[in-house]
Amino acid sequence: MASRRFNPRSLLRGMFSILVFLVIWEIGSRSKHWLGADIFSPLRELIGMMGFKKTYLPWIGAVPAPTDVLHAWAGVIVDPGYWHSWYKSFSRVLAGFTAAMLVGIPFGLLLAVNRTAFGIGFPVFEMLRPIPPLAWVPASIIFWPTQELSIAFVTFLGAFYTIVINVVGGAKSIDVRYFQAAQSMGSSKWDIFRRIILPGTLPSIVIGSSVGMGITWEVVVAAEMISGGGSQIGGTGGGGLGFFIWNSYVGGSYEQIVVGMISIGIAGFISSELLRTLGKYVTPWLRLR
Amino acid sequence: MTPPKEPIKPEAMLDMLKRTMPFQVVSDALLRKLATLGWQVNYESGAVLYDVGDKADDIFIIVSGKVEHALEPGVHARRPVQILGAGDVFGWAALLNRYPSRLAKAVCTEATEIIRINGDELLRILESDPDSGDVVMSRFATMITRDYTVPDLIAQLRGIHRKMHSGDIQGMSLTLYRLTQWVKSPRPYLMLIGFVLFLGFWYLSVEVWKLPRFREMPGITVVITEWMSKDPVYGLSIYTPEYYKHIGMSVWRVTQAFFLATIIGVPFGLFLGWSRKFKEFVFPVFELLRPIPVLAWVPLAIVMFVSTESAVIYLTFLASFFATALNTMLGVESIDESYVRAANCLGASKWQVFRHVIVPGSLPFVFTGLQISVGVAWFSLVAAEMVSGQYGLGYVINTSYTMVRYPTIVIGMITLGAVGYITSAMVRVAGDFLMQWRVRELALGGR
Amino acid sequence: MMGAVQSRSASAGNRGAIKIDDVVKIYDPAGAAVMAVDHCNLDIDAGEICMIVGPSGCGKTTLLNAIAGFHEISSGSITLDGEVLCSTAKPKAEPGSDRIVVFQNGALFPWKTNLENVAFGPLMQGKASKAEITERALGMMADAGLGGVEHNYPGEVSSGVRRRVEIVRALMNDPKVLLLDEPYRALDSLTKSVMHEALLEIYYKNKVTIFFITHDLEEAIFLGHKVAIMTTRPCKPKKVLTVDIPHPRDYSVLTSKRFRELMQETSEAVHEEALKAFQAGEKEG
Repeated sequence: MASRRFNPRSLLRGMFSILVFLVIWEIGSRSKHWLGADIFSPLRELIGMMGFKKTYLPWIGAVPAPTDVLHAWAGVIVDPGYWHSWYKSFSRVLAGFTAAMLVGIPFGLLLAVNRTAFGIGFPVFEMLRPIPPLAWVPASIIFWPTQELSIAFVTFLGAFYTIVINVVGGAKSIDVRYFQAAQSMGSSKWDIFRRIILPGTLPSIVIGSSVGMGITWEVVVAAEMISGGGSQIGGTGGGGLGFFIWNSYVGGSYEQIVVGMISIGIAGFISSELLRTLGKYVTPWLRLR
Repeated sequence: MTPPKEPIKPEAMLDMLKRTMPFQVVSDALLRKLATLGWQVNYESGAVLYDVGDKADDIFIIVSGKVEHALEPGVHARRPVQILGAGDVFGWAALLNRYPSRLAKAVCTEATEIIRINGDELLRILESDPDSGDVVMSRFATMITRDYTVPDLIAQLRGIHRKMHSGDIQGMSLTLYRLTQWVKSPRPYLMLIGFVLFLGFWYLSVEVWKLPRFREMPGITVVITEWMSKDPVYGLSIYTPEYYKHIGMSVWRVTQAFFLATIIGVPFGLFLGWSRKFKEFVFPVFELLRPIPVLAWVPLAIVMFVSTESAVIYLTFLASFFATALNTMLGVESIDESYVRAANCLGASKWQVFRHVIVPGSLPFVFTGLQISVGVAWFSLVAAEMVSGQYGLGYVINTSYTMVRYPTIVIGMITLGAVGYITSAMVRVAGDFLMQWRVRELALGGR
Repeated sequence: MMGAVQSRSASAGNRGAIKIDDVVKIYDPAGAAVMAVDHCNLDIDAGEICMIVGPSGCGKTTLLNAIAGFHEISSGSITLDGEVLCSTAKPKAEPGSDRIVVFQNGALFPWKTNLENVAFGPLMQGKASKAEITERALGMMADAGLGGVEHNYPGEVSSGVRRRVEIVRALMNDPKVLLLDEPYRALDSLTKSVMHEALLEIYYKNKVTIFFITHDLEEAIFLGHKVAIMTTRPCKPKKVLTVDIPHPRDYSVLTSKRFRELMQETSEAVHEEALKAFQAGEKEG
């Protein structure tokens, strides 16, 4: 049912809707300019009845228009500070994500392979998991000496949970027959681990990591906003795209807010794609399904 | 005729029963009661235990020897003729009132020792202990359906099964059974070890050893005393109304966002999966907006929405919406084509296919999505509350930090974890309730 | 079982005659152009059990899908009782309840009880009241020896029972043709033999045309009036055999002389094709 045939017709349709979306956005955000005209007075009344100000369309009227955003973006692209933010966010994501993989994969495998370890470790893990990573920010700041480390820790947490869950699930679902086949061919325990459990878990690790990557971005942006700007938490030296957005808000240039948002979206997309390619490289046998 | 009965020593009987299915799984207390019912009979080779059409009164357990068991033609069985040996149980018809007469002929092929138990009395005892009795009957059912395909038999068994549960819900009994099994396994004790290790480490590192970074953290005793005290130093404990106000605020926000996201997201996702045209038009825009982290929306949301409350709910809604819609769409796309084709063959219209195949078929994915959605909602809510807004657990954590009320931070975290877990579990339970068929399938271990 | 010996023509019904006329199916004509069906001609009489035997991946399922209306044909025509199902001009047939498919891995809706599944077709078509349909469904299930599992979900019963329920679900709609795509492939041979007899029992009561795909030659000769042995891809009938063992049949047929003769006649042809398929490395269809 879900055939990913890349045909020109679907491409056209997609582009068409994006265009429509942009047009509606443009018109909506310019409502300050045209809503005042006489023909729209019943519309104004309706808006007023719903409790909104009558000078612009609710919600979308407050958003900067795409053309203005583009304009702002052109201005920002030449600013090295902007690219520095990219670099900062990316490096944080990379650091946190790698740490989560380095700790999470072995931990997950340990839980999956050793029953006692699972019995001891998993309940504690599950107990801590519902606490949102961002709730750890204050505790993290108290604990870690530098702000960078505290953000990194929270970032790490976000991806860690997902990766572990996926590794455990993946290892558990490896078909028992692979083990039996290996044992009947005389493999040692270590061999079995290396040649069956590890590769068998790889697909789940790949999936877990792409979800984890998304979460990492969320947490990084949030942490940057919270510690770099938003509240009184943290001091100077925020940096990163999340900080960029918050700063733009505080500084009153709303167009830049949207620039920042789109930038993060693109950055997140790039990292997911990179991961996906890496994943395909690491699990070539899945391609031929 | 039947050789003389001999009473058996209860211990020998107990031992015997324990070696046979399905009585292996029964508690000793129940077995003792059963043991009083049985009596042992010794047969010679060639003796006919019963023939087709005889009154079905007892069930038979072979202690030693061999019995040839031949079903009458017309009873669908995998193996119409079987040779049974020590430890085998037969003569099930005695338990089923639909079959007052024997369906088979049982003949000893050598000298055989048999224990006979009266069917009616056995039934009565099983009914007196529904949990064990239920287990025995389930094993019965499994054994019989493995060997025979006499649906009436199965229906009868299920009738007995249902009668045993005329008081309680099947699900409840299953849960209780599972619970008792769980307590007997090593799992709860390992879990305890895990918690002790974790909490112990927390306690020791902060308060006893005063390790370098850990010193500054609030210790576990401090947190717990604060949480439980009637007059907390920092103003928040289980006795203060503010505590519940904050919890209520957060929960209320999540509830609103979650319901909005579900009501909009599920139909949206269903449609995305169902109509290729719709997907081609709408999905690109959806995918364009999805990678933007929810929190990147915060400033824009503050600009768009007049009240911070709406902004917070909007942010929470957004995260949930994307998760729900995406998973619902995947759910629809994952439905096996054969189901749709079968429905088409059977004359269903497009709308009927949607209602009877697509919607129920995607439910498992939808509910996975909803669980993710709840988790994501909490994530966004906390962040949004930390940045803006008053009241709420995120707000509590944030202000506790700025006002140097460290133990309260931990109280907030723990509360968040608990509430998050509960809401997730609620969604899961709702899912189990709506997908009875799945629960039952999984409970039977899948066939 | 059913008494007197009946010749094949007397047991045939009067509807459900399929004529496959010079059907060609080419996948992806613009690109890789894989021919799945190569000028296939086959006549199936009304009320006949026609077994389609062939190596995996040879295109038998494509034929079935074309009759059912799931796939298009590239050229040729398929008619049912004289009416055109699909042709070069109208490449895709409309799926309908006159030709119902029983799928290889089963397609009973897991979220409906067995009874709800069985009643599904007539309920959707709205031909009678719910009470009437339920009544009839219960009756048909009892007839097929399925009394007792009506209120269970398909996931709770054995696969053999599931298959039978699926067949009853199909028959509730009084179809002209039953299209069976290796329905017993996943069952163990003990259950299979029971299924065969159950199918024949149902057939003797209902006289639908049965188009049955299998790779089990023994199954084919045991059940069918006619056995069409297909070549490897692209498929067309290599040899069409009339099984002149009289119906009604039971398991004693398997050891009869005539049965063994027929097996001998056909197994060489089947083996040849199987070898070719093996060498070509056909993936499971």
